[in-house]
Amino acid sequence: MKKIDQRDIKLFKKKIIKEKVNNFPSYFKSWVKTFTGSLTLFCLLILFVLPFFSRNESFTHVFLRQFSLAMIFSIFAASWDLLTGISGQISFGHAIFFGIAGYLCAYLIKYQNFASPIGISLAIVIGALGAVLFGLGIGVPCLRLKGPYLALGTLAMSLILLKLFLMGSLADWLFGSEGISALPSLSDDPVIEYFILFIFMIITFIILIQVSKSKFGTILKSIRDDEVGADASGINTTNYKIYAFMLSSLFAGLAGSFYALYIGAVNPTGNFGTVISFFAILMASLGGLSTISGAALGAFFFIFLEYGLIEIGGALQVQWGLVLDIGLYKYAIFALILILVIRFAEHGILRPLLEHLKDLWDVLLGR
Amino acid sequence: MGIILEVKNLTKKFGGLTAVNDFSFEIKRGEFAGLIGPNGAGKTTVFNLISGFEKPSSGRIRFNGIDITGMRPYKIVNLGIARTFQLVRSFKYLNLLDNITVPCLSKRGKEVSKKIGTDKYASSILASVGLVDKARIPPIILPHGDLRKLQIGKAIGTNPELLLLDEPFSGLSFEEQLGITDLIKKMHADGVTVFITGHVLRELMTLVPRVIAMHQGRFIADAPPREVANNKIVLEAYLGRGEEFARN
Repeated sequence: MKKIDQRDIKLFKKKIIKEKVNNFPSYFKSWVKTFTGSLTLFCLLILFVLPFFSRNESFTHVFLRQFSLAMIFSIFAASWDLLTGISGQISFGHAIFFGIAGYLCAYLIKYQNFASPIGISLAIVIGALGAVLFGLGIGVPCLRLKGPYLALGTLAMSLILLKLFLMGSLADWLFGSEGISALPSLSDDPVIEYFILFIFMIITFIILIQVSKSKFGTILKSIRDDEVGADASGINTTNYKIYAFMLSSLFAGLAGSFYALYIGAVNPTGNFGTVISFFAILMASLGGLSTISGAALGAFFFIFLEYGLIEIGGALQVQWGLVLDIGLYKYAIFALILILVIRFAEHGILRPLLEHLKDLWDVLLGR
Repeated sequence: MGIILEVKNLTKKFGGLTAVNDFSFEIKRGEFAGLIGPNGAGKTTVFNLISGFEKPSSGRIRFNGIDITGMRPYKIVNLGIARTFQLVRSFKYLNLLDNITVPCLSKRGKEVSKKIGTDKYASSILASVGLVDKARIPPIILPHGDLRKLQIGKAIGTNPELLLLDEPFSGLSFEEQLGITDLIKKMHADGVTVFITGHVLRELMTLVPRVIAMHQGRFIADAPPREVANNKIVLEAYLGRGEEFARN
């Protein structure tokens, strides 16, 4: 009796999946017809055609690469959002996963003959999986901590790693403050690099958004809202928190591997620095916690703000002989923006922005 | 009519304070029992000990013959004991349907939701607690009475054999109390063993056929409510001793 039931369930599930696959075009169509759907598709289209605007060296090698950087950081910020915004496990040390994956990837390519294209892609995957292992290793002891204590625990963990990697006496194993340099990039052509990152960003966001909408995501959100309540509902909260840690560190590690190849080098402050952790927090909070796509908005905003500030600072120095370099004060400006966001738009700017845009759209269409 | 819950010599000490002191009782399968006592008697602590949120200093708790003393709360829920809280808890930013969906995804909840689908199961529970028209609303904007119903719905979602209700009537108007009473009676009629606490005797008087009374962590009586209401020790626990008043 029970066996028949099981088989029926399996058949039923297969049927549902088949239906979903068959109906995918119609799902896609109805998604595109919604306002957010069409807006997302519009943004993706712009990102898709952008590299074809110009083959000018300064365009592809400077401007386009900023977009690539923004994509790497949107993957990173989205992974942080999954852990903190959706599962409520506050991490101030997300650079751990970012750095570990970057170092692992760089080590494999530089010292283990992973320099062929297949080797590089393998190194990226192994780097990300290494970050998952680290997520497991850090998640298990840290999950006894709650709220601000977890934040402090992860922060301390990232500082310890930073110091370990900076240590001169460990330089033989951990490469010291110099790190590993002269890595090959994803591709010699920045346009191809751009498209690789573009595809990975889309995949990451589809996975993370689907996870946040799934039943698994509902359980993670319930742990965020009321852990005791989730426990009283028969949910093994420890397991789910570890799953969240692992999933988050997978994508953080992916971003870390890409970043190592993007820069072409890894070093302790650049890959493990607290600034990297705070970048994720800044970006995800600007877009809005637990929105996932807000992380992309925040990443693009901050990367281009940084780029703009450095450019403007340089231009002002050259043109007007300004002594002050604005580019050096970027972190102060970022922090100021974060304070303003927390004060005036607690839930991020993505949702209000979308609402206002939709109102505008409705007015334009005369609805 | 086997014994579903057996509590033996349960003791819980918080530092110097003994909240529950050598407390023993049994509950039979399908029974409808109440636990009463004045404020601070230790009712909630007994519930916390049974449901695993606190570990007893000494004593044993057995459920269906399985020793559950000191087990993690989610494991106890997955064995079939669901509880509600005296202060309402909810998943604040999830809508009501998702609130109910979470317990439906627990081990015991899955047994039902696999057969009829999680969403269907969750909305059927939502309908049975009378909140189906508010399925898309987050609980932060709901009135207190609806939150109490939601709590009971969340407990039902785990498909329990034994339901522990901690002060389900506190802070409710008379009409809201009637709604909750009907809900609890329906649960009991469906074959769930119900164990309920309260500090107001009147509420439980008409509802339960058997009352366990406790005071300052100690067992004082186990009888039908009418007898308990006339029990001298119970009256003393609630009202204080007559002689003391006379002396003052």
